[in-house]
Formats: sequence, structure tokens, C-alpha cells
Amino acid sequence: MNKFLVLVIEDDAPVRNLITTTLKTHDYRYLTAENGENAILQVTSHNPDVILLDLGLPDMDGVEVIKKIRSWSNTPIIVISARSEDTDKIDALDAGADDYLTKPFSVEELLARLRVTQRHFAIMKQEKDNDAIFENGDLKIDYAAGCAWLAGAELHLTPIEYKLLCLLSKNMGKVLTHTYITQQIWGSSWENDVASLRVFMATLRKKLESGPAGKQYIQTHIGIGYRMLRVE
Amino acid sequence: MSGKQTEAVQDMAGVVGRSGDRAGNHMGDHAGDQTREHILVCLSSAPSNAKIIRTAARMAQAYQGTLTALFVETPEFASAGTEDHDRLQANTRLAQELGAVTEHVAGDDIAFRIAEFSRLNGVTKIVVGRSNVASRRFPGRRALTDRLIAFAPNTEIYIIPDSLTDSDYRVRKKRSGKPMFSLLDTVKSIISLVMATSLSLLFYRWGLSDANIITVYILGVLITSVVTDHMVYGVLASVASVFIFNYLFTYPRYTLLAYDIGYPMTFLVMLLASLLTGTLAARMKNLAYQSARSAYRTKILLDTNQSLQHAAGREAIVHATADQLSKLTGRDVEIYLPENCDLEQLLSGEDSDERLCCPIRLGGVLYGVAAIDVKGNPVDAFENGILMSILGECALAMENEKNAREKEDAAVLAQNEQLRANLLRTISHDLRTPLTSISGNASNLMTNGKDFDETTKQQLYTDIYDDSMWLINLVENLLSVTRMEGEGVKLHRDAELMDEVIAEALRHIDRRRSEHTIAVQNENELLLVQMDARLIVQVIINLVNNAIKYTQQGSAITISVREENHMAVVCVADDGPGIPDGMKPQIFDLFYTGEHPVTDGRRSMGLGLALCKSIVTAHGGAITVADAEPHGAVFTFTLPIKEVQLHE
Repeated sequence: MNKFLVLVIEDDAPVRNLITTTLKTHDYRYLTAENGENAILQVTSHNPDVILLDLGLPDMDGVEVIKKIRSWSNTPIIVISARSEDTDKIDALDAGADDYLTKPFSVEELLARLRVTQRHFAIMKQEKDNDAIFENGDLKIDYAAGCAWLAGAELHLTPIEYKLLCLLSKNMGKVLTHTYITQQIWGSSWENDVASLRVFMATLRKKLESGPAGKQYIQTHIGIGYRMLRVE
Repeated sequence: MSGKQTEAVQDMAGVVGRSGDRAGNHMGDHAGDQTREHILVCLSSAPSNAKIIRTAARMAQAYQGTLTALFVETPEFASAGTEDHDRLQANTRLAQELGAVTEHVAGDDIAFRIAEFSRLNGVTKIVVGRSNVASRRFPGRRALTDRLIAFAPNTEIYIIPDSLTDSDYRVRKKRSGKPMFSLLDTVKSIISLVMATSLSLLFYRWGLSDANIITVYILGVLITSVVTDHMVYGVLASVASVFIFNYLFTYPRYTLLAYDIGYPMTFLVMLLASLLTGTLAARMKNLAYQSARSAYRTKILLDTNQSLQHAAGREAIVHATADQLSKLTGRDVEIYLPENCDLEQLLSGEDSDERLCCPIRLGGVLYGVAAIDVKGNPVDAFENGILMSILGECALAMENEKNAREKEDAAVLAQNEQLRANLLRTISHDLRTPLTSISGNASNLMTNGKDFDETTKQQLYTDIYDDSMWLINLVENLLSVTRMEGEGVKLHRDAELMDEVIAEALRHIDRRRSEHTIAVQNENELLLVQMDARLIVQVIINLVNNAIKYTQQGSAITISVREENHMAVVCVADDGPGIPDGMKPQIFDLFYTGEHPVTDGRRSMGLGLALCKSIVTAHGGAITVADAEPHGAVFTFTLPIKEVQLHE
């Protein structure tokens, strides 16, 4: 029995059914809410492990729900949005959501996102006391020493690349928006910064993923941002 | 703008277009001209003129007709004072504010000019004030209205009684006029008299007759009239000639007496002859001067008209106008447009000595304000007349430009409407097929699920999945279409790595991709392109899906990226049967599906490639199709490269 408790906030019954059926068949425990008010009530009373939130709710804006929940809880939130505009997702991510799914999504995709969040959740609990050293697959970062190693060999990174790597690693599993990253690295988010970000991210990724194993550490979300993936 | 107004403005434009024989402004049909009232009001510098203009404007409104304000510049007006010019300018401006088109003609005979103008421009009603009628200096001459009636018998003439007394205004006009006597003119007159007298003395010594001497004096008066500015010199010279002739050449000489009975008659005839020749000469001189000015005016207006016609767009019109104005006045000219500042405020803030603000107005619509830097050197009446005409031309050009733009917008709108209608029709038709398959298969599975064997079931599931994927892809394309339409060319552009974009696109490719080999070749992994990523992803998806759809199983699809002349060149090539040459020209047309023998009943809406084209075009690139060697199709599109300055 999977002990993971998922709160599904979705006003459309067929989609809610699809999600709950999927969760049931994969042994997740779940709660449902049809509107924002009910959802916030559920979060306060049941404290779920992960929240699936549809942005288009009848009573309030999805971003508002995220802000309310974030005011007291760090529960991972996966946003579900009908693919209309990227800005919706970016707003949600900047408001504190961890990940997003775009309708129409496949069942496999939903389960994969849940697993990512689950692992992230587990690591967060585990690594509370040991945060000077970061480890993910072959990647190892010593924040105190300011060094990074891939499979034992030291990585030669430019200062910006190192800053990017630290930012991504400290938010592993979470999608970081372009605006968020440029503001953290350069303190601004000019158009040119975004272009620079693309280039640095590409070179950093090349250094990380060029090894013989060729594992993917950084995932690109076109028009949204980047995320570091958990590598086994 | 309501239909009626548009018509009126077009009509007005047509009328003005004809008045100066200016080609190109011609618009609207003139069949209705005779039924539509065209009201002419005479502009003058009289203080009471404002009232007449208002009356005419009310009349034009009541008849829903067009209003033209005409100013006839007489030779006398040139010598009028600045006060008169200011008043005339104020009146002209008032007329324009009330929606009149102002016109300017020069001539001696006001009534004749008005009648001529009315006939040429199809004026149906003429409004004049009584002050225009008054002609006190020539009581014998018929009143203006009588003459007008005689010249234009078919036109209705409205006379507005003038409550202001005109007499004190006339006095002021005289006082404020040009000085009658000038030293130069006096010297010129005296010289010509002295010369005439010397010649006469010579003739006298040679014993030539009085007739010769009289002719010499008349010649002297004629010369005086020609070389001096004011008629008074001619008159004085005539009188002086008679006296000098009397004093020097009639018996008894050196007295003002004459013994011969014939002499008084001679003096009288001589006086009359010299007066008449003098006046005629002066008038001719004035006419010559006026026709020179009018030629100059016509030339400038023609120039303006030509440069305005070549001007494409409002900016160009404004530039051409400003050029002409500064060329004409030799002063700095600024033109303000409504979006830059509050024009009404600019106009109501009275003209200072530094700056003259003139509205660019037509039919009550204010298109802009021209501010002319006068700096203590005011614009004279002649310049002012041309100025008004140029501004009128400018307003007309702007009006035409606006109309053309509106027409274009309407055409685009109509085309969009047509597209939308086509789209809806095609969609509603094409949606039915996959929906029928999805709902039918699902219903079968629900009711008879137990009776199907495992392979049949699998087939049904696959069909449902495929059809829904087809629908998803369709919706994506439709969303991109609305995005293109909704935002026009305002794309949400960012610098993106071509590599990442291709990778993202490949994640959304058709399920059947496993039946084909897809390879990506990229020379420069850090190639940054300025683009709306979501749309370009859609372009690549469409091209690759097309390649999958129209090639046999196991075909090779290659996506390659290279850099060429600051453009990123992306090719999607396949080794399928290729595209027949006959289809290539139309392949990017919307709803073009070709006579393609669709291999396994896969549908096409003719939406994908049309969308690709509009997306790539909006990005400033181009999309083409060519044949691959030895067989197959290559779709190539280009996008501008973003040069980036790295922020370390």
C-alpha cells in the first residue's frame, strides 16, 4: 500500500475521474476538491503529501490558491493547466508551484510527475541535516568548498555555470522559471539575460551530460524554464 | 464614421479634387452631386463675416450638404493692414472648424470670380453678407448681388443682412493701409515729369506742334503709373502735366493763363487721357503682379500635391507638408499629430508672436496642427493664403490615407471573416469523422466488451487513441492559428536554442515515429534564434508529422540546422515519394489538401503547412519546398539569428 496522500483539486468531473482512477490503480491514497475554498479546507485538515491543482477553478484563481497554501505549507504542488498560455504556468510556478502538467496529458506523464515529486519529498526529509554536500547520481557538489564532481572527476565550470548548478540542485525536482533563474543569477531579467541563460545552460548541460553514461540531469521546459532531475 | 458622413466627405473630396484639376483625389461618384447641396460662403476680412460663415455652416448642416468657403483676393486687399489679414485668418479658421473646405482665388472682379468658381464646382447656394455687397466707391457700378445673379443665374443666392455698420471699419482700413506717399515714388514721379518737360522743351525749340508735346506728357504719366506703387502718383502726375503744359507751352507762356479758346478743351482732354492711361497702366501692372503670384501659388500647390501623392503613409504626408511649408515660408515648421499632444489645447492657446498655429482640418476632423516659427516676422496675406491651401491639401491627403487604410482594414477583416467561415466549415466536417470513430468504438467496448477477443479490443483501443491524438494535434494547430490572429505579428519572442526547440518538438511527434528513423544534425549547438518557441515547435511538429504521414514505413527523416547569412536554416527532409511539381505552388495554401492518394485513410485539413508558412513569415523568415535526392521532399525554413552578448 502506497502511503502517499494526493489531494486532487479539479472541477471537471471526467478529468477528476481519470485522475482518481489512475491513482487508485497505482495504490495512491487520494482526496478530492471541486473548488478553491474546499481545497484549502482539505489541505488544512488532512495535510496531503502532494497537491494536484487545476488552474481553472470556478470560485477563485488557481494562483491565489497556491499563494494561500504557500503561506503556511511547503507541500509540493503540481499545477494542471489547459494549454492556452505559458504565462499561466509561469505565474503559478513563480507563486510557488513545483511542477506543471498540460492538458491533455497522458496517464504515464501524470504518474511520472508524481514519482518525481515523491522522490524529491523523500530526499528533502533525508538531507535536512546534511546540506553542505549535494549528491545526485554521479553528480556531487560541495557547497562549502565551491566544487562540483561528476563521477569522481572535478567539473571545470565557469562562475555562472557553477551558480546555475547550485541553484538547480538546491531546487531539485522543481521547475524554475527563466525569470526566477535570471533574477537569482544576474539580479535582473533583461532580454539579453534570458539569451545568455540559454547559452550557459546549454554549456553546463553539455559538461554534465557528456559523460559515458550520458544521463540527463537538466530538463528544459521550452518557454517556461529548467529543472534538475533526480538521477538514480 | 457613419455612412452618410463618409459619403459627404468623399463628395467634398471629389469637389475639391475637381476645383484645381488635381488628379488622384478623385473619389466617390459624382452622379449625386446635383442632388446634394453644395454651399459656398464668401470669406472676407470684415468683422461681420464670422456671422455669415456660421449661418452658411448651419445651412450646410440643415441641408446635409457640403460647405466651401471662398476668398477672392482683390488687388486692393494686398494693401490692406495687418488687422485685416488677422481677421481674414480668423475667419478662415472658423470656416475650417465648421467643416468648410477653404479655397482661394485671385481676381479683380469679386462677383465674376465667385460665379466662375460656383459654376466650375457645382455650387448650388451662395451665401454672401451685405458688407460684401457694399461698393461705395463706385456708386454707379451695380451691386455685387446683381452682378452675381447676372453671372450665375441658376444659383440661389442668400444675402445675410449685416448688423454691424461698415463705415468705421472702412475708415480704419484706410488708415491702416500702406502709406500713400513714399520718397522713392515721389522722386520717380518728379524725374519722369522733368524728363517729359525737357523733351517737350526740345520739341518746342524744334517747332513741333502742341500735339507732340501733349503725347510726351501722356507718356510721362504712363511711365509714372508703371514705376510707382500707388495710383495717386498717376493722378497727380496728370494734373501736374496739365499745369506744366499750360505754364510752359501755351501763350502767354510762363503764366497759368491761356488765350486760345481751344486750350481749356485741350487741357480737359489731356487730363482725361493721362488719367485714363495712368489708371489702365496701374491696373495692368497689378494684374501682371497678381498673375505672377497666382502662377507661383499654382506651382507651389502643384508641387505640394505631387509630393503628397507620392507620400505613402501618414508620416510621409506630414513630412512632405512640413517640407513644403518650410520651403514656402523659409521658417521652421513643426507638425503635431493627435496622438502626441492635445491639439485643441494647442489651438486654443492663442498664437503668440513667436509661433503661428494652424489646424490641419477637413470636414470637422482635426488631423494635426502645424506650428510655424514666426519670430516677429509675421506671415503676410499671400503666404497665408498658400499656407491654408497647403494645409488643406495635407488634410485631404490625410483623409484619403485614412480612408484607404480603413478600406484596407475592412478588406483584411472580410478576408479573416472568410477564413474563419472556411475554417469552421472544414472543422465541423472533419471533426465528425474522428469523433464518430471514438464514440463508436468506446460504445462498442462498453456494451460488447466481453464478446471481443483481445486483438479486436486492442485494435479498438488503438483507434480511439489515434483519433483522439489527431484531435489533440488539430486543436494545437487551431490554437496556434488563433494565436497568430489574435496577436497579429506581435509574437512572444525570446532567444531560444534551436537544439532545445527541436528536442521539444520531437517529444510531441506522432506515435508512429517508431516506424521511422528520425535523425537530427546540428552544426552549431549554441545557435540562438529569436522566436516564439511554442509556434516554431508547432512548425517542426507539423513538418515532421507530415513526413511521417506521407512516407512509407521505415523511411528516414532528417532534421538539419545550419547557419547561412545570419539566418538559421532548418531542413526537414524525407526519402519518401516526394511531392509532384504541380502541387508545390499551392501546398502552403490554407485548406489545400491536394489530390493526394492518402495512404491509409489519414485525414488532412490543409491547415498544417499554411500555418507553418504564416508562422515562419511572421518571424521574418521564409519556408520553401524542394525535391530531395534521389527521391523525397525537403521542407526548408529560415529564421533570423540572435547575436547574443554573454553576461558573465
